[in-house]
Amino acid sequence: MSTWLPKSASSRRWLGLAPSYIVIGIFMLIPMVIMGVFSFLEPNPYGGVKAVGSFDAYVKLFFEYDLEDQLVFNPGYINIVWRSFQLSIMATVLCLVVGFPVAYYITLQPENKRNFYIYLVTIPFWTNLLIRTFAWIIILGRGGVIELPLQKLGIIDDSLRMMYSDGAIAVGLTYSYLPLMVLPIYASLEKLDFRLLEAASDLYANRWVTMWKVVIPLCKPGVVAGCILVFIPCIGAFIAPNLLGGGKKLMLGSLVQFQFSSARNWPFGAALSMLLLSAVVVSLIFYARAAKKRALMEGEV
Amino acid sequence: MTTVAIDIRGVSKVYNPGSNQAVQALDTVSLTINDNEFFTLLGPSGCGKTTLLRLIAGFEQVTGGEIMLFDEEIENLEPSQRPVNTVFQHYALFPHMTVAQNVAFGLERLKKPQAEIDATVERVLSLVKMKELGDRRPNQLSGGQQQRVALARALAPSPKVLLLDEPLSALDLKLRQNMREELKQLQRETGITFVFVTHDQEEALAMSDRIAVMSNGEVQQIGAPTDIYEHPVNRFVADFIGDTNFLDGEITSVNDDLVTCRVGSESLFEAANSGNHSVGDQVTLFLRPEKITLSAAGDASRQGRVANIVYLGNQAAYTVDMGDGIELTAQARPREDGNLPFATNDTISVDYSARALRVLAK
Repeated sequence: MSTWLPKSASSRRWLGLAPSYIVIGIFMLIPMVIMGVFSFLEPNPYGGVKAVGSFDAYVKLFFEYDLEDQLVFNPGYINIVWRSFQLSIMATVLCLVVGFPVAYYITLQPENKRNFYIYLVTIPFWTNLLIRTFAWIIILGRGGVIELPLQKLGIIDDSLRMMYSDGAIAVGLTYSYLPLMVLPIYASLEKLDFRLLEAASDLYANRWVTMWKVVIPLCKPGVVAGCILVFIPCIGAFIAPNLLGGGKKLMLGSLVQFQFSSARNWPFGAALSMLLLSAVVVSLIFYARAAKKRALMEGEV
Repeated sequence: MTTVAIDIRGVSKVYNPGSNQAVQALDTVSLTINDNEFFTLLGPSGCGKTTLLRLIAGFEQVTGGEIMLFDEEIENLEPSQRPVNTVFQHYALFPHMTVAQNVAFGLERLKKPQAEIDATVERVLSLVKMKELGDRRPNQLSGGQQQRVALARALAPSPKVLLLDEPLSALDLKLRQNMREELKQLQRETGITFVFVTHDQEEALAMSDRIAVMSNGEVQQIGAPTDIYEHPVNRFVADFIGDTNFLDGEITSVNDDLVTCRVGSESLFEAANSGNHSVGDQVTLFLRPEKITLSAAGDASRQGRVANIVYLGNQAAYTVDMGDGIELTAQARPREDGNLPFATNDTISVDYSARALRVLAK
């Protein structure tokens, strides 16, 4: 045993894990601390921050100064946050509705084909998200892939005005994060004992009842994980909202991006990010509690 | 007059038909299972017994033939439409439900009133002695307890026929033996027809009213346990059920009660005449080990040399070399002092009644 190694087993274990602590520190903790600190500073009009402490960024979330320099409640930003939640929930539900059958279908395939289908699901990840979102402009846009045939067939006269709407944003978000829903659901469905489906049908359950009473409850962990994995990036997304929403109807992600670029208000951007982070952390804590309760109820194995 | 519960009419099953992996699992099997009967499908793995059970349950579709359940054609119905329930080999209990919820599952699907469901769940759980554990989850139960829950769950909707797919195979020996008696008793108490699939011949003999011995997708013999054991119709059945000595030979003389066979080059054996034998027939004789009495060398007609001994506790299996290339397996009990009566290479007398030696057609 080399002499320079710490003597006690616990310090040696700590040393062995040190690389991962360093990675977590550099890539996760330090950037987050910087964001936290920035959110309590004053903006520098030329970009960056001034080293002057201030709560202005957080005040700005809820209030603005009127003409007489009085603080009045400003629902503008809160509305954007609310809209972001709505759209993200919509996209998450759409992902679930589309992703669950896809994952179920893959599970039903012969084992040697499943990996190929999973590979197909992940292929879009290999192309830049920006380019893939532009493709949706061609699909949804005026005289695009959907409109043109309908117009030529005389089914519609005018444009459907699908672009630059909440619907377009939701579709774009759904498309972007669908694989993040399919993969965890597939992972939990793959472990499902299909003999339980036979048992259910033997006990007079039709296909729908079997799905509701047996399949879905048993793959709930995968569904919840998929929903979290989709919801979190959706709420911070800015590519789909900017390109498909036209940048007029802001989402939280676009707002943050705007603060760090054109608006040059880094502290406010950082404060918005902290708000986002706390929303995510709160929802994860709820999930962890629910999971723990379920584990207790079902008895750990 | 007995009512027929299940009538299997010329049922065939081919897996992957039309492909190069086509497997004929059942070949025009016909049999009838009576109401209120404990009927066992017995055979080695791959003989088609589980396939037949799954066809009755509806998990597989027949390739040809009909399945009648109390005179109603069921082979095209969904499993959920058939009034039969299954106890699965690996129980297949719903892990996210309590024991009571598992048992109530079928009753809820049948839209029974809640009061009736509660009463039935309690009744069947006490029937299988699991009343106290209704709130547990399956993963908090032992294998034997899970087995009981699976039974209760399948019995709760009062099926017309209960299908049991090797339900005891995952239990350890002692538990398995206890469950045999309980299952048999349960069948008598409920009066439900049991169709029991197993590869364990002891289990089949111990519990069944009738047994169908299957091999290679065909039924070899159907009969009461004693019929199957004492009067097997062919070598497969005789070999599969219990231990047996087989002697291949040629009939040299026939009279009313007995036939004489030449086995090996010159040994003559007399066997019971089961009819339709004539001189010159090539036949197989079979003799159960327990029909042979071994004793210290005396003036018995046949003597042999102990070639091998397998000690089994309550008895020992002796392989006796009879000369002329013939070996017989027989049993002997240990003496009162616990020692075995004979040792290897002892010369001993081998006695049996000619009526115990039977002729199987070759």
